[in-house]
Order: sequence, then structure tokens, then C-alpha cells
Amino acid sequence: MTTIIHARAPQRSTATERTPPLLPVLIWELRRVLASRLFWFQALGFFCFQLFLTWALHASEGFDTVSNNVQLYASIAGTSARGLLHTLPLVLVMLVLLLPFVTADGVTRDLSRRTHELLMTTALPTWAYVWGRYLAGLLISLGLALLLLASILGMGMLLHLTVADYPLPQIGAVLFLWVGMVLPATILVSSFGFALSTLLPRLSTLVKVVILVAWIVGALVIPRGLGNTTTPPSWYVNWDPTSGITALGLLPAYAIHLGPSITSEAQLQQLILSMENKMPDLAGWFAPHLLLAGFSLLLVLMAALAFKRSRDVLT
Amino acid sequence: MELTLERLNKRYEQQWALHQLSLRLSPGMLGLVGPNGAGKTSLMRMIATLLEPTEGRILWNGQDIRTHGQALRQVLGYLPQNFGIYPEFTGRQFLRYLAAMKGLPSSLLHRRVDEVLEMVNLEQVADRRLLTYSGGMKQRIGIAQALLNDPELLIVDEPTAGLDPSERVRFRTLLASLTRNRIVLLSTHIISDVEAVASRLVILQEGRVLSDTTPEALLVTARGGVWSVTVDQATALHLQASYQVSTMVNQVSGVTLRLVSPTRPHEAAVVVDPSLEEAYLLATGRQAVRV
Repeated sequence: MTTIIHARAPQRSTATERTPPLLPVLIWELRRVLASRLFWFQALGFFCFQLFLTWALHASEGFDTVSNNVQLYASIAGTSARGLLHTLPLVLVMLVLLLPFVTADGVTRDLSRRTHELLMTTALPTWAYVWGRYLAGLLISLGLALLLLASILGMGMLLHLTVADYPLPQIGAVLFLWVGMVLPATILVSSFGFALSTLLPRLSTLVKVVILVAWIVGALVIPRGLGNTTTPPSWYVNWDPTSGITALGLLPAYAIHLGPSITSEAQLQQLILSMENKMPDLAGWFAPHLLLAGFSLLLVLMAALAFKRSRDVLT
Repeated sequence: MELTLERLNKRYEQQWALHQLSLRLSPGMLGLVGPNGAGKTSLMRMIATLLEPTEGRILWNGQDIRTHGQALRQVLGYLPQNFGIYPEFTGRQFLRYLAAMKGLPSSLLHRRVDEVLEMVNLEQVADRRLLTYSGGMKQRIGIAQALLNDPELLIVDEPTAGLDPSERVRFRTLLASLTRNRIVLLSTHIISDVEAVASRLVILQEGRVLSDTTPEALLVTARGGVWSVTVDQATALHLQASYQVSTMVNQVSGVTLRLVSPTRPHEAAVVVDPSLEEAYLLATGRQAVRV
């Protein structure tokens, strides 16, 4: 049998035919991630876990008082603005535990999988490769952050329908807290993880571990250490990327004074309802959080500028 | 089109991988052979802009690729010795992905991917996930991706490693059909691959060009340097220890050896026509035994 092979030449493309190089990198990286069944299982698992967490924390805080020798108790809704200040730093930790694994390896994965050389010998500009990979990771991270928002609102509505006196989540307040706390944290962690891993590909695992440990310390350990007795400095409240201290600084605005007029649990619950959905004070911390997210983009820019196509290694 | 290497040096810490290497390549196929550690892969990676020379220049059509790397990459097809795949993708998706990275416009991309799939005979399995591909199929996908942009400079590093004999023949035929109007640089350990398709042969040893010749010329220089002899087992072992043995065949009448030596190695030895592999062994002074 004779095999005849014809090598046909494609029409060479002209510059005007070419699409902007960033777009194919972004689209194809998203396609690659979305083609993985494991990713969908992980996203579904994350969403279910967040739903569970929101349910488990829906009445984690309460007020109790004694009136006429009767113990009165009323809880704060976990999906109210006041409740979210208490629970969001913890919920955010769960998101942050995932983010470095989504974004940090955007470029280093090609080195470990040995696809790096195939890509670096194409005419793809370096900036398009790095930014395309970063933006794809960021979009997926933002998708996870949106799942977090959906789980809070969805579970909040479900609780409102099924639990007596449970208030409907105030979408405006939840959105403001999401934009001021979750969104900047998502951008910050994604950018930090991606930039540091791209600059230090051999230390990619260490980068992830450091980010996770630093976040857990900032979001959970330090606020617990400070407790309710110490007032954190205002600069820390405003610039804390984990929002653990920010929440601590905002909570005093939700304090209520239980007077002798409260004689029943219904009255107590009504008082808490009037307080818990109050819009948080955005002055001071909201803009710094968004600025932190903006600064982290500079790190990605540095990584893109410092990224080298050629590597002086033997293998 | 022309690729010029000017006094290239490459050093990894204290170890020199390439020494004062100069070559000029024009359309056609150049076979690059040499023992392990000769500097073949370093040279190919330097030409593919993946590695910077310590000293010297690489010029593509007169332009230094250190400053005009993009111009080279636009017309480059590169198949590395070891490469990875994205297991999430099918073969077709993987090629479309790399075609997009190579800047092929969408109007051309799908057609070109179908063409290269046909060229490497993977149309039937193109929609299967790469995870399910055998080593040979992955190698063919690698070859296909190198051809996506119809490269003017095609660099293939050990392309037939992992291919079965029929796939190797098919690949050699494919490579032979690609040499018109392009420079093909083929690095291999399998001398028969070069013999079949390369019009020019460069032997590298310890980072230097040992020989820059044609397969025919190398065969001519090896005439009178290859011997055949049939001896008993003990003598065969003695000869094996003293001379380069290219082939050793056990037979009822004894052991038949093909020896590479400028002088007659045994009184019963007769001169035979050299193979290209034997000519290569004679040139490099290395020993290889095929039993």
C-alpha cells in the first residue's frame, strides 16, 4: 500500500485579518477550564457548601436580656447587613481558600505541564499571554464570588420563606457589602497569587500557602485576638483586605440599648429587625478596599513586564 | 529565506553546551545528529527563541532574533522533544487552541486544523479527549501543531521517538514532502530517519560541529572503515572490547560482527559497504551495539 501525503499550504493571514491577541488567549483559557468536569464539580461543591454555611450561620448571633425575671432572646439574621458583618469574613475565607488554586497557576501550569514551549514559540505577544491568562483566572474567580452572593441571597430568601420572623435579605445592603468586601478580596487574592507565581514559578506552592495562611490570620485570628474589648485603629479598619477588622470596626454602629420598655421577645425581635438591616456606613473603608484591588493590578502589570519567554535552564 | 548561526556559544554555569558554532541554513532539510549532551536540544531551543545564546548571534533573514524574535516566531513551527498537552481538550480543540495562539484568523483556522489532522492521519480520533491518546498519537498531534501556520522554518526535535515503525515511515514521508520552500531542522538519534529525508547532515559533538556534510559524502568517507567477520563467542567478546561494533548477530556458525575501524580488526575480516549509522559511528568514534 502506498501512502500519499500532500502538504498543503494555508493562505497566509494578513495583519488586518488577525484578531486582537488578548481575546483568543482569554476565550481559549476559559474554554479549557470550563471543559474540565472537575471544575464544574468543584464549583457546584463550593456553591452547596456556601449555601450550607449561610444556613448554619443564619442565627449565629443573638441578644438576650431579662425582663420581669423572664429570659428574653432574639437572634440576628445571618443574611442581614449586621449579620453579614459577623459572618462574611468567615464565608470569605472559604472563597479565598479556593482562589489561589484558580488563578495562581495561570502561567506556571504551562511550565509544569510542558506546554510552555509550544506556546512560547508562537507569535503570541508576551503581554497578551500573561494578561489573557490572568483575566481568564480572574473571571472564573469572580464567577465563584458571584456564587457566594447567590448563596447568601438564595438561602436568605429560603430562610425568609421557611423560618418565622426571618427577614428578607436587603439586596442593596448585601450588594454593597459584596462589592466592598468580597469583590476587592477576590481581585486582590487573584492578582497576588497570579503575579507572585508568575514571577516565582518554582515557588508557586509556597506562594499559595503563604497567601492562605496570611488571610486566615488576618481574617480570623487577629479579630478573635482583639475581641470586643479592643478598638482597632481606624487605618486598620479601613485598609484591612480580609474585612475581619473592618467588620469589627463597623459593628459598634449596630449596638442597641435594651431598655425596660422591652418586655417580650416579640418586642426584642422588632427592635433587632429595625437595626440589623441598616445600611452599613461606607465612609472610610469602602474606597480603600477598592483601591487595594486596583493596586494589586499593578503587581500583575509588573509580572507581565518581568515575564521572560526564554528560560536559561538545561531541560 | 535564510537562517544564519554566527559563532554561537552557550554556557550553563561552568558547563559549555555549545562552542563557536556557525552554520548557514537555506531551504531544505538539515539532519542534526550527535550523542547525548552534544548540544542538539540547546541549539534547537536557541533557534526557537526559548533560550538565549551566551555569545554569538542567530539571524533570520539577516535580522538578529534577539531583537526580532517575533518575526521568526510568525513563521516558526516547533516540535519539542518533550511536550505537554491539555488533557481537557480533544485533539481538534487542542489544535484549534494553538492555531488561535499562532494568530491564524478564524476564517482559516478550522480548515487548516482539518488539513493538518488529515496530514498526520488523526481525523478519526480528532474528537476524542487527548487524555485517551496513545504516545504515538500525542506525538502526531505535536507534529500537527508544528505545521499549523505553514512554517517557513520547521524545527523538530526527536520527532519519531515513541512512534511505531509504520508511523515512523509515514512521518518520514510527511517530512520529505515538507522540505520544499522551507528550512527543516531535524534532530534525531535515529540515523535512518536522517538518511531517508535529509539532504544535509551536521554532526555535533561536545557542542562543536564535528562534520557538516551530506549523507552520501559521509558514506564515501566511511568506505574502507567498516568490516564484517564471523568468529567464535570468545573472539567476539574480545573484538567487542577493542573495536566499535555496529552489529552483532548470533548464528549457528558463530557470531557475525560488523566492526567500525580504520584498520583491519581481524585477519578474517572483510570490508563491507558502510551504512550511514556506521559512517556516523566512525565519525564520532562512539560505540553502539545492535544484537
